[in-house]
Amino acid sequence: MAPAKSLAQELAAKQREISVAEFFERNRQILGFDNPTRALLTTVKEAVDNALDAAEEARVLPEIHVEITKEGTDRLKVAVDDNGPGILRKEIPNVFGRLLYGSRFHANRQSRGQQGIGISAAVLYAGLTTARPARVLSKVLEEEAAHALELSIDTQRNLPRVVSEDVELWDRPSGTRIELTLKAKYIRGRQSPTEYLRGTAIVNPHARLTLLEPDGTRITYERATTELPPLPKESPPHPYGLELGELDYRLKGSKRPTVAQFLTQELSGVGPRALKEILAHAGLSGRETPPKLPAEKIERLLAAVHAVPLVAPSAESLSPIGSLLIKRGLKNVLGEVRPEFYAPAVSRPPKVRGGFPFVVEVGLVYGGGLPADQPMQLLRFANRVPLLFQQGACAITTAVGALDWRRYGLDQKGGNGLPTGPCLVLVHVASTKIPFTSEAKEALAEDPELDKELTLALQAAARHLKVHLSRRTRRDYAAEKFAIILKILPKLAAKTSGLVGKPVPDLTPIITRIMDIVHVETAEPIGGAAVVIPTKITNYTPRPRVLEVFLEMPIDQLPQAEFTPAPDGVDRELGRAWWTLPKLAPNTDVTVTATFPKGAEVEASDLEFYVAGVDEARLIGAEPLPGDWDVRLPRAVIEAAEQAGEPVVAGEEAEVDYDAEEGKAQVDDD
Amino acid sequence: MPKKGKPKSTTTDDQPKIRADALVPTLDLAREIYGQLARGEIPRMRLPLRTKQNLQFVAREGIWKLGRTLGTRSARKLDGALMLLRTFYLVDFINEMARDGKTSTLRELYYISEGWEESKFHGEDESNLLIEDLEVICQRLREDFRLHPEESGASVLGDLTLRERNRKGVVKTFNCRDDVGDGGYTLPFNVEKEKVEFVRTKAKFIIAIECGGMFDRLAENGFDEEFGAVLVHLKGQPARSTRRFLKRASEELKLPVVVFTDGDPWSFRIFASVAYGAIKTAHISQYLATPGAEFLGVTASDIENYDLPHDDLTDQDVRALQAELTDPRFGTAEWRAEIGMMLKNGKKAEQQSLAKYGLNYVTATYLPEKLRELGIA
Repeated sequence: MAPAKSLAQELAAKQREISVAEFFERNRQILGFDNPTRALLTTVKEAVDNALDAAEEARVLPEIHVEITKEGTDRLKVAVDDNGPGILRKEIPNVFGRLLYGSRFHANRQSRGQQGIGISAAVLYAGLTTARPARVLSKVLEEEAAHALELSIDTQRNLPRVVSEDVELWDRPSGTRIELTLKAKYIRGRQSPTEYLRGTAIVNPHARLTLLEPDGTRITYERATTELPPLPKESPPHPYGLELGELDYRLKGSKRPTVAQFLTQELSGVGPRALKEILAHAGLSGRETPPKLPAEKIERLLAAVHAVPLVAPSAESLSPIGSLLIKRGLKNVLGEVRPEFYAPAVSRPPKVRGGFPFVVEVGLVYGGGLPADQPMQLLRFANRVPLLFQQGACAITTAVGALDWRRYGLDQKGGNGLPTGPCLVLVHVASTKIPFTSEAKEALAEDPELDKELTLALQAAARHLKVHLSRRTRRDYAAEKFAIILKILPKLAAKTSGLVGKPVPDLTPIITRIMDIVHVETAEPIGGAAVVIPTKITNYTPRPRVLEVFLEMPIDQLPQAEFTPAPDGVDRELGRAWWTLPKLAPNTDVTVTATFPKGAEVEASDLEFYVAGVDEARLIGAEPLPGDWDVRLPRAVIEAAEQAGEPVVAGEEAEVDYDAEEGKAQVDDD
Repeated sequence: MPKKGKPKSTTTDDQPKIRADALVPTLDLAREIYGQLARGEIPRMRLPLRTKQNLQFVAREGIWKLGRTLGTRSARKLDGALMLLRTFYLVDFINEMARDGKTSTLRELYYISEGWEESKFHGEDESNLLIEDLEVICQRLREDFRLHPEESGASVLGDLTLRERNRKGVVKTFNCRDDVGDGGYTLPFNVEKEKVEFVRTKAKFIIAIECGGMFDRLAENGFDEEFGAVLVHLKGQPARSTRRFLKRASEELKLPVVVFTDGDPWSFRIFASVAYGAIKTAHISQYLATPGAEFLGVTASDIENYDLPHDDLTDQDVRALQAELTDPRFGTAEWRAEIGMMLKNGKKAEQQSLAKYGLNYVTATYLPEKLRELGIA
């Protein structure tokens, strides 16, 4: 009997390398090429993400131009060029013509692309759908001319094939341009190139983006800052959340002579004292050669690094956008919507999951032209890249929906799910390793650490919204009173005086009785040679008042501010200045002006006023002095407040309001 | 707050003879508010609420008048402040008209307010309500303020001789059956003695009819001559002049008044405004209400007894009936039974549904039967 082939041999015979074309066909969906509209978006996105990364690495302000033109009935040509450093001639074929080729996969720092699939997948898709090669133009600073290559991918061997090559003059110091012709469809609105570029502009306020649409429309997002984000530093993984496999892999690959050196050099957060404790805990000397550490000792080592308190992971490998720039990015793009409120953006301190640091940032915008009867607009971002798909399956969406927004002033059916209201929320997660649900990088996976941070950041932003809404209610109340005293009362006095033929009486007592508030109003800055922000404090109560006014503002802004009148005290550490105002007679006001140097980036909402000397119910436009500030008030303020202390008048309020009743009467009248 | 007793009647016509003291109360009002302003008090005025809860039955007169519950119109609230300001724009305008010897229609006043900036009226309802407020406060009628409605044109047909001073100042005497066309005599907005006088009649009663179609049916069938009736067209919810005419005719000619309407919740309110006084004009009920007026039909039981074609009550109808159950004017056992029956049966019917039995049925059968029940014919 002929010896039967073993099963193993049989299987081995079947095993062969899968061609990239097959791989692509099987993974179209996760790669983002499952239909013509999606394919276009993915292509634009991969090219722009690369362009941004390249420009930032070269420390130049990104200038990216996207051009989409029609080529026949179902084909589009996409061209994306940047002002990045360019790519060396020998690297061009691999970067664009080979899947899974990249420099960033093993670099432990935040970047947009990670796997090295993106742009070459677009080249592959273009080739598969139109049989047209990609055209790449790239120039580096050191060379006079640009290299122009036409490339396709050898789908059997996953290797780039250079179809043609030339050199070309290009009137820029450096940069890269890629042109692809692909089967695609252009749309606008949701999940379109415009939506992607708009989102990109918000979270990359240092980039200038332009888009030429197939119909010739040109959209430009100017940059909102000329400051480049700091380049994230590569940093070794942090032991918190490090898993056994990862530790083993790193030990085996380590070139360090001893485990002690491995621990301090190839992991972050391990200082000399922590090292001693870890070694003691693991029962190791520290002199062991890393790749030779036996499995059971690796396990003990892992337990030890988890047991010992370590320095928190460094955020240097991350590039959060920051509170100021989130707000500026949103303003830059939402300008035409004229929102009434931009919440101070929340940028949480870095945390760690699985050895990788991450940061959660949240921006919130309310009112203006945002639709009031629609669900909240949620903009999700990971490492400064907009996430446009799979919103329902994303941990960010889950965290937003889990918050009871009703407590913060928005409508929300049943207290969960996306709330309804004129509200837009931006959530950005930055990490050296983003926990995507799939290779398509469309949604974040649930993770307890991430969820905790998302919730805290969302709550902080929602609290700002709540404060804004309650202030608005009080302002509306004041606005009604202002309408009475400014518009109606003077006319009523003029009319009745005219009818009885007597002079118009002094209305101060009535104005103060109707208002009965102390009103604080900060005007928006007046530009010019300097930025001037006046705040008017008016005593609309019937009693004279001595007020103590506190101003709190961002600590970095306070030193450059000058005030008139001069404050009675300043605390630079707390960012506060304060005044004991001279006695304010009823219906009189005083203005405190803050002046900043020309170009200072400060607005009315950066100035928070707190006032003592009037009860909370009578104070509008400022907050009462917080109890925990432990401020000793001047005697004059206390005494005047005691004299002015009177209950809110209730007598007349108890009477039937004729005009409210009349309204009802009309309903049941005959 | 209205003082006791009837307001004096007005003398408006085309050369208006407005009482010399008509505008004094408006200036008193200005003086009162000016005084408050000068004393540093938040301006306000108190006036009786014109709601159904504040209706009071005056047994001696048999009508419903405004009660004693007061509301406050205060400048402390934006709405109140605005109404106070409007009041004095209105007072100013009235006094200006007096100086110039002009009068204005209610509709014209509404347009005049275009120049009052934030005080301008947003609809004629608003201006009418404010004029009524001023009537209540000043104890005057709107005609005293030189404000009058457009000609309402309610028709009168029957053996009734009237004397009217026409627009040229000529006094004409005519009979509302023999000297007018088929449309009858059209009531002017001013039906006071100075304008319209009753001369003589042989009629035995007055029948007030809700719809024009039914008025025409009775006219064509010669109902007025056959039964000695004066037909008055109410044109839906009757205007002040129509109610005033019915009141004067009933008192001065000693004629009974019957009211013939559709059989629905809204018709009950039409009857109430004729017989008891309307909520909006409760301050002048003594001047407008005809306490002896009787409701002839169509009643809820008529719909059953005469098997009339009917519609189902709408939700709005049901709410109107339920509101009537808390309206003191419908507080009698008879009305509660009538409203209760309509709610129970869930049906309403138009007057003209009687045509089911032919064009003569209403005059030959229905009305004679109903009038017999009321002891009139």
